[in-house]
Amino acid sequence: MNGAANTDRWIRWLNTVQLVIAGVLIMAPTVWMVLSSFKPSFEVTAYPPTLVFSPTLENYAELTRTTPFLSYALNSLIVTVGSTALGLLFGIPAAFAVSWTRITWPAILTLAARMAPGTLFLLPWYVMFRQIGMIGSYTALILSHAVITLPIVIWVLLPSFDAIPRSVFEAAQVDGCSVTRILWRIAMPLVASGIAVSAILAFVFSWNYFLFALVLSNGDTKTLIAAAFNFIGEGSTQWGALMAAATLIALPPLVLAALVQRWLVSGLTLGAVKG
Amino acid sequence: MSDTAAPLTQDRRKLEMAALSAPAVFFTVAMIAFPVVYTIWLGFQTFSSTGKQSFAGLANYSKLISDYEFWHGLWITIALFVLSLVLQLVFGVWLALVLFNAKRLPGIVRSLFISPFMMPPVVAGMMWLVILDPSLGAANYILQSFGLPPSDWLASPTWVIPTVALIDSWQWTPYVALIVLGGLQSLPPSVYEAAQIDGASPFKTFQRITLPLLLPTIVTAAILRSVDLLRFFDIIYITTQGGPGNASNTLNIYGFRVGFEFFNIGYASALMLTLTAIVFGAVLAFNRLRGAVAW
Repeated sequence: MNGAANTDRWIRWLNTVQLVIAGVLIMAPTVWMVLSSFKPSFEVTAYPPTLVFSPTLENYAELTRTTPFLSYALNSLIVTVGSTALGLLFGIPAAFAVSWTRITWPAILTLAARMAPGTLFLLPWYVMFRQIGMIGSYTALILSHAVITLPIVIWVLLPSFDAIPRSVFEAAQVDGCSVTRILWRIAMPLVASGIAVSAILAFVFSWNYFLFALVLSNGDTKTLIAAAFNFIGEGSTQWGALMAAATLIALPPLVLAALVQRWLVSGLTLGAVKG
Repeated sequence: MSDTAAPLTQDRRKLEMAALSAPAVFFTVAMIAFPVVYTIWLGFQTFSSTGKQSFAGLANYSKLISDYEFWHGLWITIALFVLSLVLQLVFGVWLALVLFNAKRLPGIVRSLFISPFMMPPVVAGMMWLVILDPSLGAANYILQSFGLPPSDWLASPTWVIPTVALIDSWQWTPYVALIVLGGLQSLPPSVYEAAQIDGASPFKTFQRITLPLLLPTIVTAAILRSVDLLRFFDIIYITTQGGPGNASNTLNIYGFRVGFEFFNIGYASALMLTLTAIVFGAVLAFNRLRGAVAW
């Protein structure tokens, strides 16, 4: 009996050790990025690398002085908020209709679009947007990023709508409510938290998306992600500023993800796994 | 009375429902379906240096078969896909078991575990570029302090693909782990208890009971990762742009460069359609596999 308890304790201890190792492997690179962003420029490339240093904000100051970082950030915000809003506007009613009617092809259509490599659409978009003079416009960027946000909104919301008992809608219908009214007055308030999660996930993935802005933006509308090259170009002398840029770019999605981490898993697997 | 009213409201409801999906459907057709048809058409065109466009039949596709870069890109894509997927599934299942046995995870710990795949892949590329720098990076310092030889990592034609697989696995192993953890938590506890009563060792329990029951979840994770891995782009484009030389020139990178650096839109269309067929083929194959391991 005593032996079994000992084995038990030993197994638990072994598990904790593994958890710590995994945690260190996962966190160390990010911690290193953030630390490097606060290092004085002579120390960021020191070899052997240093762990103890007097932190400075000079890299962040350098970043805003030598690059239009804030206007890139504003571009990212415009494109991300615009495409998230568009995704919600089109996605909420579509998810509701798919959930109610069980006619699933509109949802599958948007998902199939999400699985194809982005370059497949980018080629014709480039040709078409160039013909109508829309390369570099916010509109082109928002429309292209809505291709990312729409399936996220639909597939995150589908299980939420499915979870509402049918009788709720049927009762409302008997009372003579139109479908639009049922969605607006009854269904949407019931799935409010699902809408919040889908909005945050859509925001994160639109913010993080690289490929479309690489081609469809110009100097004035370049997003932070597409501008990442401008920060890399300078070589190892600019590591501090590069890591400051990386830290700032990663900050919005990380903060938002931390807010909804509890509901994230089922949302990220598009309902494949109930988290 | 109600006999005549019911079909009318039925029809009206159908119409209202169609109106609700219409914006999403219309948007997807305009932004995806129509452009894809256009890409298929572009795949049959050639563009001369003056921009003049002419019908080329299957010329782009026959070019593809004899194009060394295409076959090289296909090989790189498959190598990166297999290497990354194996790493992420093996370590993802391991991490899921560790997290499962830890029972209670505070929210902050969970936030830290999901942080790699919530940050932009481009940022992951930027941070690893600095860590893996051949002369001043922290990774080589750690290797050397353990008496191991330093590596050129992303700058080495031999090691660039394993290195990219490593970066991607750092980002997405926690994601696989969270999916598998969801699967673990949904398994009925009674199966473990029965195994314990029968005196099965923890390893045997895992091999004979947990793993077979988890397979559908693992295949789901594999599908979700495959879609991203076969069209691998961000981390490579930000760190090596397909280099050194063409050592990390995956099909997606190659197609992008043919289209937007060499402006050979027709050939790039043929390349991207081929890659799309590969992605959908893989998804269908995995889907059949999931059907085979379902319980």
